[in-house]
Amino acid sequence: MIEHSIVSAAPRPATVPHAARPVVSTVQQWWVLTVRMITPTLRNGELATQIIGSVVFTIGYYLPLKQLMGAVQPLSSYAQYLTPLIVLQAIWFAAISAAFRSATDSVQGINRRFRAMPIASLTPLASRMTASMYRCCVALAVSVACGYVIGFRFHNGIVYAAGFVALALLIGAALAFIGDLIGIATQNPEATAPLMLVPQLTLGLASVGLQPVQNFPDWIQGFVRNQPLSQWVYGLQALAGDSTDKAPEVTWSVLAPGLAWAVGCILVAVALHAMVTRRRRR
Amino acid sequence: MNSSDKAVVVAGIKKSFGEVAALRNVSFEMNRGEVLGLLGPNGAGKTTTVNILSTLITPDSGRALIAGHDVVSDPAGVRRSLMLTGQHVALDDLLTGRENLLMFGRLQGLKKKVAKERAHELLEQFDLVDAGDRAVSTYSGGMKRRIDIACGLVVRPEVVFLDEPTTGLDPRSRQAIWELVTDFKEAGIATLLTTQYLEEADLLSDRIIVIDKGTVIAEGTADQLKERTGGTYCEIVPRQPSALPAMAAALGTMLPATIRATLSESADRISMPAPDGPATLIEALRRISEAGIELLDIALRRPSLDEVFLALTGDNTYGGDEDPTDKFQAVDSYA
Amino acid sequence: MTPAAEPTGHLAALQAPHAAGGRHRSHKQVWENSPQRLALQTWVLTARILRRWSRDPATLVQSLVMPAGFLVALDIVLGSGIEAVTGRSGLYGQVPLVALVGGMTGAIIGAVNIMREREVGLLSRFWVLPVHRAAGLLARLTADLVRIVVITLVVLCVGVALGFRFEQGVPAAIAWVFMPAIFGVALSAAVLTLALYSSNTIVPQATEIVIALLMFFSIGFVPLDQYPGWLQPIVEHQPVSYTIEAMRGLSLEGPIAEPVIWTVVWSAGIAAVCAMPLMIGYRKASKRG
Repeated sequence: MIEHSIVSAAPRPATVPHAARPVVSTVQQWWVLTVRMITPTLRNGELATQIIGSVVFTIGYYLPLKQLMGAVQPLSSYAQYLTPLIVLQAIWFAAISAAFRSATDSVQGINRRFRAMPIASLTPLASRMTASMYRCCVALAVSVACGYVIGFRFHNGIVYAAGFVALALLIGAALAFIGDLIGIATQNPEATAPLMLVPQLTLGLASVGLQPVQNFPDWIQGFVRNQPLSQWVYGLQALAGDSTDKAPEVTWSVLAPGLAWAVGCILVAVALHAMVTRRRRR
Repeated sequence: MNSSDKAVVVAGIKKSFGEVAALRNVSFEMNRGEVLGLLGPNGAGKTTTVNILSTLITPDSGRALIAGHDVVSDPAGVRRSLMLTGQHVALDDLLTGRENLLMFGRLQGLKKKVAKERAHELLEQFDLVDAGDRAVSTYSGGMKRRIDIACGLVVRPEVVFLDEPTTGLDPRSRQAIWELVTDFKEAGIATLLTTQYLEEADLLSDRIIVIDKGTVIAEGTADQLKERTGGTYCEIVPRQPSALPAMAAALGTMLPATIRATLSESADRISMPAPDGPATLIEALRRISEAGIELLDIALRRPSLDEVFLALTGDNTYGGDEDPTDKFQAVDSYA
Repeated sequence: MTPAAEPTGHLAALQAPHAAGGRHRSHKQVWENSPQRLALQTWVLTARILRRWSRDPATLVQSLVMPAGFLVALDIVLGSGIEAVTGRSGLYGQVPLVALVGGMTGAIIGAVNIMREREVGLLSRFWVLPVHRAAGLLARLTADLVRIVVITLVVLCVGVALGFRFEQGVPAAIAWVFMPAIFGVALSAAVLTLALYSSNTIVPQATEIVIALLMFFSIGFVPLDQYPGWLQPIVEHQPVSYTIEAMRGLSLEGPIAEPVIWTVVWSAGIAAVCAMPLMIGYRKASKRG
């Protein structure tokens, strides 16, 4: 811009930063991004919906089906049998929220901005995962508490109870990865949320979480037994144990398939995630 | 209603949002076929003014007439006469260009067949025939802006509001929009143009209005505004910056004392008022060449509209006051 | 309407036809809100929304594929149990339930859609057009109506494949097809109202919770006597249960008049409560320009 007088104005001192560029700390970035995702939920009611969601799944499955299913399941009470499924459904609901959030971010373009900053490419993903895990923890805590209310107990001691928690969180991580991937890939927040609700209910119905596998028609028993939700239910039931000894035993043969599914999901989701982001970058 | 010939009449509009007075007293008029540039720093009230004129907000007091229709008592009439294009394209992006045009046509009362013909015409005029059957989400920025404006022209408006129409466009698309504004003029349509590109306002507007802090602080043609803020000046650049003092001495009485006093070590040119225009330049050139100083450049310059703007609005351009209407708008305001 | 001589360039674009039936320089009040125009304009806007949905694969999958899978799963898991307890196929409750759940879940899509269009400025643009003030809102509700009927038909086809049959005749069958839409549209209105007054992320989650509650505690899930005594009145009188009961009466056997009346009462009640906030919220969202 041409100056009218010949006095050249000194550059405004404060606008252009003079100090040397601060060193980038990945941990700090991860923390900032994570807090960014978590803080609003404390204000806008998302935390409340998370808690209410867990409660709803508990009473929704337990109360109507107690009579119908209670007689045909092997454990001491239907609550003991059902709670693992409730935990999984609550965690799945938390993962849906993660998917919605990542899709919203993707659409709003803030991811693009992050990619152009000196942020390690995994950091935004890591922060979204951390925020999702926070949601999963809430879901887990509330659903176990609800389980306690209806009669569920940990019968196998504290080590296995810790294992229960660990397995549940691992599954939560897997589902959150998948949810995040769907969000990023479709970039369609509108459809992402309802897209995940019905499969959740459907797979939940078609698993051993509600009733033992023998009660299903023969032709579908294979599917029911081997689908990931069922394997996860077996694993959680084993770790929680039972006052009778009818619960599955805590052996590798029981836990391994569930673990494999969870880890497999994570690996596949991460790989696809990298592929999708790389393709976008091009 | 003796102002029924004017395309737009705004008289004493006031608007407050809670405690914040967004518009204190805005008054101006527009004739048919005129292009009016609306300038102002952020938070000045431009967007609020446009929102009021397009019936999105009601004013607290004052009157505004668009094509003879009062915005408060006859908003439907205003809507019939107005075309509004916001900074950001507002279309259904899953629909094709053609389908969008059809939709807007039918919404405004065209029969299906007429709407189809109209859509075809517009696609041709705006050079979008090939893209016409692709979803709008696949268009480039310039194409989106063109189809956005085309959708506003399905039915003939009498007044057009263009809110920052060329922001983010490539030069060719900008050129196309400028031509369009000229065509509006020829067709007798009144255009209100809001822009941050001051040279665009300079180029296109018949008159300019500068709004700051909710009132109109200046009004006139671009030339008139430039005259107001200092008029023509003469800029002389010596080949050797070290020759500057010698040059100042050579100019003698032509160079006002105030400017001579502000000559600093690092200056490389002298800018002095040129009250006689070319005559001043010739005289300056004579004196300097007599002193034997070599020049890199000597020219008569008008202040740019940027300088006018800054002079009129003080220091408020760099995001000073908060826009009171921010509270009421989503990130992308459409108006 | 087109001029005789063809001007070149953009001038041609400006030789636009005048709006049919409009007087340009009239100083009288212009009758924007005329009823005949309303029907046409609502239809144009409804067609837009439907076209959008038909182009979006996620919406199609959610509306058409998922309810089918859900119905099959419900039938497999609970079918035999229900038949053992009630003596009749569970499908007569499950098919209506899945149609309703599909319809209700889809309302979330419409709600998120409106929030996005508010931000992008499309709502404002429609508001500044000379169309009937109610057209935009009516269009969204009409589009939801069409969507729910389509979902009902799809779920019906799957149900028929699984063994569902109409035993009460054709007029009853036709009424059956439109029953989910009654409550469904009322719920859509409620979800839209929620969307217009709150933030993006709450709406889908809160709505899903409500849908899940309505689903689990309805007579379409398990028979009424399976619920604990204290819960039965709630289960019996909630709107989804009434709709399912009405549909059961229309397809199989059982009372028709009473559940239909209650369904209408519930729907009208919800619609009445939402009407004013919805209109005000829509206006506010449109004027956010």
